[in-house]
Amino acid sequence: MEFGWSQAQENYRERIRAALRELLPADWHETYTPQSYASDAQIEFSRKFCPQLAERGLLVRHWPKEWGGEGGDDWEQFILAEEMKVAGEPRGPQYMNVNWIGPTLMRFATPEQREKYLPGIARGTTIWCQGFSEPGAGTDLAALRTKAERIGDRYRINGSKIWTSYARKADMCFLLARTGAGRKEITVLLVPMATMGVSVTSNPGLCKDGHLNEVFFTDVDVAIDARLGEEGQGWAIVTHALSFERTGVPRYHVGIEVLGLAIAQLKAEGRADDPIVRARAGMIAAQFEAARALTYLVVDQRVKRAPENTDANVARITALDAVVELMNFLVEFTPDCLAGGDAQLEEYYRINVPAGVTAGTYELQLDLIAQRGLGLPRG
Amino acid sequence: MDYALSEEQAALVAAVQGIVRDHGAPPSDARQSFAYFDASLQAALQGGGFLDAARVLGALEAALVVMEAATAPGAAELGASALVAPHLFPSAAPNGPFALIDAAALGKAHRHLPIAKTALITDGGDVLVLDLNGVRIDPVDSVYAYVYGRFAERIDLRALPRIPDAAPLLRQWHRVALAAEMAGAAAQAVAFTVEYVKTRHVFAKPVGAFQAVQHRLVQCHQAALAMRYLTLKAAWAGDAYHAALAACFAQQKASKIVFDLHQFNGAMGITNAHLLHFWTYRLRALQAEAGGVYASAHTVANALWGGAGP
Repeated sequence: MEFGWSQAQENYRERIRAALRELLPADWHETYTPQSYASDAQIEFSRKFCPQLAERGLLVRHWPKEWGGEGGDDWEQFILAEEMKVAGEPRGPQYMNVNWIGPTLMRFATPEQREKYLPGIARGTTIWCQGFSEPGAGTDLAALRTKAERIGDRYRINGSKIWTSYARKADMCFLLARTGAGRKEITVLLVPMATMGVSVTSNPGLCKDGHLNEVFFTDVDVAIDARLGEEGQGWAIVTHALSFERTGVPRYHVGIEVLGLAIAQLKAEGRADDPIVRARAGMIAAQFEAARALTYLVVDQRVKRAPENTDANVARITALDAVVELMNFLVEFTPDCLAGGDAQLEEYYRINVPAGVTAGTYELQLDLIAQRGLGLPRG
Repeated sequence: MDYALSEEQAALVAAVQGIVRDHGAPPSDARQSFAYFDASLQAALQGGGFLDAARVLGALEAALVVMEAATAPGAAELGASALVAPHLFPSAAPNGPFALIDAAALGKAHRHLPIAKTALITDGGDVLVLDLNGVRIDPVDSVYAYVYGRFAERIDLRALPRIPDAAPLLRQWHRVALAAEMAGAAAQAVAFTVEYVKTRHVFAKPVGAFQAVQHRLVQCHQAALAMRYLTLKAAWAGDAYHAALAACFAQQKASKIVFDLHQFNGAMGITNAHLLHFWTYRLRALQAEAGGVYASAHTVANALWGGAGP
C-alpha cells in the first residue's frame, strides 16, 4: 500500500501545470470559467487550446501510440483530468473525446471510421456531442424513441435528443437511435451535425448556458457507414463507453479549490474566523478528501484491471454528498454569489445543480450498490 | 499510488482476522452486557506482538491491525497501544493497555481505565504518564461498548512524569486510532446488518428488499469504506492534517450509521443479545474523543486556510 505519487507522476503533473500557465490567457478565470465549459466561448477556446495541448503530448497521452498517444496509464489520464478540472476544464467538451469517444471508436469502429475520426480527436480539432438522453428517456436510457429506419444503404433518423451539451457548436454527434422494437434494439450512429435535417435549440436552465440543448432529427439521412458496430449493438457499445467514465470527474479537486475561494472571500469580509464557518468548511473538506480516497481506489483498480465492482458508484455518491454540502455552504455563508457577487462561485454552484442527475442519478447509484455490491434482494 | 495490500500486510491482516474469528462468539453472560472487554482477545493481540506493528512494520500496518481487531464483538484496548504509544515512546513504552485522559476532565469516567495499566494524561501541551498500579478505580456503568472507570482517589498531577510538548502528537495519533477503530466497527456493523436484512422478513419480503432501507444502508457502507481509506492514508502520512481529516469524517458519519443500522435491525437491535450495539456503541463512544468532530474540522481548516483555533 502506498498513498504517495511517484516522481514521474509528480513531474507529469508539473508539466501539465506549466502548460496551463503558458496556454491559458491572463483573463481566463475572469472571462472564461464563469461561463462554464459548455459555453460557446469555452468551446471555441478549446479549438485553440486542445491542439496546443496535443502538440505538447498532453491531450491523448493515455492512448496507444498508433493513434497519437504514448500508452500512458490510467493514473496519467486521471492526473490530467484533475488538473484540467481545477483549471475550469479548458478542454471544454473535448474531455469526452479523449476519455471515451476515442477509445470506444478504437474498439468498435471500422478501419475507415478510425482513420476518419481519431486523428481529429487526437489533434484536438473536433467537437463531439453525446446524443443519448431524450425528453422521455434519461436515466432509463433504453426507453429512447429516436428512430433510425433502414432504407437500402442508408438510415433515416427521426426524433429528438435533449440535454445535449455542446450541441450548438458540435461537429459530430455520437447518437443512440432505436433500430428495432425490442427495448435494447439500439444502434450507434456517428452523425455530422451539419447534416440536413439536424437542428438545435437551447433552453434556459439552472445550470449554465450550453448544457441544455435540444437536438431535432427530422428525416435525417446518413449512409450506412455512419453506423458504429453492428445494428442493435448500441447497448453493448454504450455500456463499454460508459465504463471509461466510471470513475467520474474528479469533483474533490475543484471542490477544495472552491471552498478555498469562498473562505478567501469570507476572510476579506472579516468573517473567516467564525468557528461555525471553519467547522463547516473543515467537515466539507473531509468529505471531499473521502471522495478523493475512494476515487483513487477505483483508479488503482482500473490500472490493475481488477474485476468490476461497485466501488466506482460509491466514490461517485461520496463526491456528490460533498458537492451538495459545499453548495449549501455557499448559499449559507456567501449567498450573494448567486446574485452577482462572485462569478466563479456562482459557476460552481450552477454547474453542479444537475450533478446528482447526470451520468446515472444518485439514486440509481444507490440501487446498483445495494443490489450488485451488498447483494440485497430486489424489491 | 497503490491501494493493494502488500504480501506482508495481507498476511498480517489475515492473522488478525483469524484471531477475531476465534473471538467471534462472546460467552453467554457477555452477550447480555453493554460492554464486553475480551481479555483473551487483548492477550492474543498483545502476546502475538500485533499491537507492536507500528514499531516493527509501520503505522499503516498498525492501523490495519486496529481496524481488523475492531470488528470483533468484544472490545480490547487497541488504538492507544497500537498507534499512540509507539509514537509517544519510540523505544521503550510503559505497559499497556492505556487510557487516554484529558487533565481538564480528570474526574469524569474514562474509556479503558478499569483495564488499563498506564494512563496518558494530556495537560495543556504536555503529556503526563500515570502508572495505574495500585491506583484505585471505580468501574462505571455505561451503554458505550467499552469498559469505563473513574479515579476513586485524588491524582496529584504535579508528581507525574511529564513529556513536554507531546500533547499535539498524542492528539494526532489518538485521531488516527479512533478513526481506525470506527472504520472497523462501522464496517462490521454494516456487514452484520446486511446479513440481517436479507433474512428478516416484513410484509412478506426481506427488510433489505425495500428501497428505503437499501439506499440508507448503502450510505452507511459508503461511509465505512471511506473511513477505511482516509484512516489508512492518515496512518501512512503521519501528519496532523490527515489525522484530523480521518477523525473528522468518521466522527461526522457516526451518528447516521448508528441511527440507520438500529432502524434496520428494528426492535432486535435494541436488545443486547443481538450484538449490534457492541459495534454501534463503540462508534458513539468515539464520536466525541480527541476533541470531537468540530475540533478536528478546525484542525483541517487551519491546515488548509490558516488561522488559529483548537
